[in-house]
Amino acid sequence: MSENDSGSDHEENRRYRDRSHSSSRSHSPCGSEAEENNQEDEVADGQEPEEENGNSDDEYDEEDDRPSKKKKKNERFGGFIIDEADVDDEIEEDDDWEDGAGEYGIVANEIDELGPTAREIEGRRRGTNLWDTQDEEEIEEYLRNRYADSSTTIKQFGDAGDELSDEIMQQTLLPGVKDPNLWMVKCRIGDEKNTAILLMRKFIAYQFTDDPLKIKSIVSPEGVKGYIYVESYKQTHVKSAIENVSSLKYGFWKQQMVPIKEMTDVLKVVKVQTSLKSKQWVRLKKGLYKDDIAQIDYVDLAQNQVHLKLLPRIDYTRLRGALRVSIDPEALKRKKKRRVSAKPFDLEAIKAIGGEVTSDGDFLIFEGNRYSHKGFLYKNFYINAIMTEGVKPTLLELEKFEDVPEGLDIELTLSNKDTLANSQILCSGDNVEVCAGELMNLQGKVLSTDGDTVLIMPKHENLNTPLEFMFNELRKYFKQGDHVKVVGGRYEGDTGLIVRVEQNRVVLFSDVTMHELEVLPRDLQLCTDTASGVDSLGQFQWGDLVQIDPQNVGVIVRIEREKMQILNMAGKLVEAKPQSLNKKKEHRNTIGIDGLGSSIQRNEIVKVIDGPHTGLHGVIKHLYRHFAFLYSRLMTDNGGIFVCRLRHIALAGNSKNRQTKITTQDGFSSPQSMSPWRSTFGQLGVGIGKETFVGTGGRFGGVQRDIGLIGQTIRIIVGPYKGDVGIVKDATECTARVELHSSCQTISVDRRNITIVLQKTKDGRLTSSYSRTPVNALTTPGYREGSLPPVQGSITPNYEVGNRTPNFGSTTPSHDGSKTPTHAWDPASGYTFTRVTDEDLEYPLGSDTSFGQSPSTLYGSSVHSYSPYQELTPSGCNSTSSYINTPSPIDTDSPRSLQFYPASSPIADGHLKDKISKS
Amino acid sequence: MFYHIALEHDVLLHPRYFGPQLLDTVKQKLYREVEGTCTGKYGFVIAVTHIDNIGCGLILPGQGFVVYTVKYKAIVFRPFKGEVLEAVVTQLNKVGMFAEIGPLSCFISHHSIPSELQFCPNTSPPCYKSKEENIAIQPEDTIRLKIVGTRVDASGIFAIGTLMDDYLGLIH
Repeated sequence: MSENDSGSDHEENRRYRDRSHSSSRSHSPCGSEAEENNQEDEVADGQEPEEENGNSDDEYDEEDDRPSKKKKKNERFGGFIIDEADVDDEIEEDDDWEDGAGEYGIVANEIDELGPTAREIEGRRRGTNLWDTQDEEEIEEYLRNRYADSSTTIKQFGDAGDELSDEIMQQTLLPGVKDPNLWMVKCRIGDEKNTAILLMRKFIAYQFTDDPLKIKSIVSPEGVKGYIYVESYKQTHVKSAIENVSSLKYGFWKQQMVPIKEMTDVLKVVKVQTSLKSKQWVRLKKGLYKDDIAQIDYVDLAQNQVHLKLLPRIDYTRLRGALRVSIDPEALKRKKKRRVSAKPFDLEAIKAIGGEVTSDGDFLIFEGNRYSHKGFLYKNFYINAIMTEGVKPTLLELEKFEDVPEGLDIELTLSNKDTLANSQILCSGDNVEVCAGELMNLQGKVLSTDGDTVLIMPKHENLNTPLEFMFNELRKYFKQGDHVKVVGGRYEGDTGLIVRVEQNRVVLFSDVTMHELEVLPRDLQLCTDTASGVDSLGQFQWGDLVQIDPQNVGVIVRIEREKMQILNMAGKLVEAKPQSLNKKKEHRNTIGIDGLGSSIQRNEIVKVIDGPHTGLHGVIKHLYRHFAFLYSRLMTDNGGIFVCRLRHIALAGNSKNRQTKITTQDGFSSPQSMSPWRSTFGQLGVGIGKETFVGTGGRFGGVQRDIGLIGQTIRIIVGPYKGDVGIVKDATECTARVELHSSCQTISVDRRNITIVLQKTKDGRLTSSYSRTPVNALTTPGYREGSLPPVQGSITPNYEVGNRTPNFGSTTPSHDGSKTPTHAWDPASGYTFTRVTDEDLEYPLGSDTSFGQSPSTLYGSSVHSYSPYQELTPSGCNSTSSYINTPSPIDTDSPRSLQFYPASSPIADGHLKDKISKS
Repeated sequence: MFYHIALEHDVLLHPRYFGPQLLDTVKQKLYREVEGTCTGKYGFVIAVTHIDNIGCGLILPGQGFVVYTVKYKAIVFRPFKGEVLEAVVTQLNKVGMFAEIGPLSCFISHHSIPSELQFCPNTSPPCYKSKEENIAIQPEDTIRLKIVGTRVDASGIFAIGTLMDDYLGLIH
């Protein structure tokens, strides 16, 4: 401050000198009047401070043209020049001559005269006038102009201050030949700091004696072992200082001088790369515990020691304490050769041999050693007494340590992995955070990796250049909401959204299973691609039906790296290894019966009407015996899969019609509709009890096989198996071989004792014929539906629930009778919700009515008219159709979900029915 | 966020519809095929507001189908990270709650629900409520949430949200 003040005074004086000159020129040549003039000026200044403010800029601008010396002057002291004082620009311009004249000389002369004036100016500078005459805003403006300028410092301290960069400043501080030297003195390892302190005490003690120590300083840098540095002018001074210091006795005879150039290096702070970490395994090199495994508890680098945890080797045969007997040295020698085995510290055994054990906190102390309650010895060892490289504990050794529930091994594997796998884990594009060093917590994005170093682009407004870091200085950084993929650990391969980030723990919400997973950040990677998740493992996929054991099946609801979680029939989650599972083969057309007696199949939408999941809707994923595995988007557990008993579910939609269908179908078989080459036919031929089916093709001779019944699901209505449901495997006119659903057996049952509960609908498509023969035309509806043209009348009421009655009416059998029933009205599945695919929604009702009707004369009805190009329909079989082979690009359109089309509307209804008929 | 943008869609038409009302059919089909769909880029197509132009039909050789390129304007809903939206709670469990913002389903993890709201599995329906029981979030309730992340698939968008911010939570 004093400097500044003097500077400002100086400057002010210079200014006044200027002014005095100008005034003396303009008004009076007499120097003595200068003071008065100045005072006058000041008054004027005070009245017009604002104006001056404005002028000040101009002034500087003008000064730009002046010789550089002048400019520099102004800038340097700019902060202390009172602009207000410079009244007159003209005057300023006039004083060019001064540059040549010795400034200081003149100033010196005038200082005395100007002194009081300067004081007054100082007073004015404090701004009384300013505050009085201006409002707040102006003052603010004024202050802003004045001080906001970042170059103020430059003005104050001159340009040179800037140019005098740190480097040069540092240079001046470097030691030279005139400075004392550093002497390197050998010291006992581990005692460096103590020695330094000792020497300091010695220095203080000798300070006021006749013979003080002539050393300048002692340096004991952290991490330097076995040496300390002594700063002094002469080696003899060093010698005298270290004399009689026991820890320095090795260094007494020889001290090495540090070359001047290297002196700075002594104090350079080198980051210590500790290779030793706690929990690391080491082996001892010598002593009683030679080759024993030990685990580092903590490392004391300064003392060059490590605190190890190991199994003690205590000789329990030697008696201690009061029981001690004198052993002759011979026996002792012999004994020493035998190595005591390592086992946990045994308090009882020690007491038995008379040892004294004291306790210290959690530790027991015996013969100066500390033992934990677990029986481990905790002891300090010198670092050079242990082997650290490539120590791998054997399994046996690990086991001994393992009974300590500290998760040592886990941590160990982690740390190993850290070092090994880091390079693979961190890759460009990752967000990272610096976790060590000065730039801790700086975030950035990895640009590239090269060996051990990583180039990152910091996310900081002031850091615009890429920075290089070591791998271990970085850790991955994630934010809530990031979509990530797990690249390691048990959830490897899973993807999800991060819902929570903590230190060393990230919680993410899996895309596939809707579970929350806890993962280590280093196992994660930002994942730009869309959700994939783990959905397959070997032959198994998520959602597959698998055989857990001969009686039980389940659905895979979660796949982890090694094992899978399976939802079994009881609704419980079980874990299983893939090896122990068999994939359950499923027939495409497995049919079950819901609680209301309707037949249900996979992919149909059902509603749960009873049981734990009452009220949910779901798609049937799998049917197994009397269980159905359903999928619902609303179900959050197990990825949306749940299990229900068949009697607890009902086909979504109206089931009444379905039942009527079943009743109406009886006995309407017609030979015409049968196709001999179909292995399974609809239930056309299968009326209750009375129907007999005769293959029209005449392929069957002898006992006629009732192939119409084969594959049907029947219920036994009489006898010991009454009520059981099964599938007909084979059938003749009078008996049927039935494979029971409930028990795994096939029995023969009288045809009269069974009733069909539902018919097979999926199989047995007509595929061969493209001709429009009446036969084929008629078969088509038949196998789908069981409703034959002759029975149309009876079915009519069904149609009326749809909106197509008129169409139907317009359809005549002769005119493509085949198509109509095929597509539009399938009583068996008429109200079934199945997956609604694109094509179902392709033609809205509007189109149905608007143009569907008009071409109906051509096509029979709008509904069936577009059936031909529905590629998904397995009914390539709609033999009548000429479009059969046309590939339908329409089906490739993006699928749309059902939810946007209310199922209750007639549109959907109609389309759904179509859909069903297709399936 | 909702946008009103111009989009394009190819409509494939069966030859059967070649008639006086052909263009009507094209429009119908466009509505049917586009509304309610979701693309990762533009989000959910809520409604087609205006059909700008139906291009010339191009007959596909060998099939007889006709492709119309339709340019239309539609209102789309595209959720963004950081967006604050109102949603209807659909389901609650101990893991969190699911809410729907129109067609967008959103999950709010219990980590993102203020800790004073605790899950009460025993009430019917289950709810998240505060100790003083003055706030209870149940299914069908309207909440205000902030989207913290979205997962955009080819055919859908899924979001996770948070209630941990000022003015988020139950709307009375």
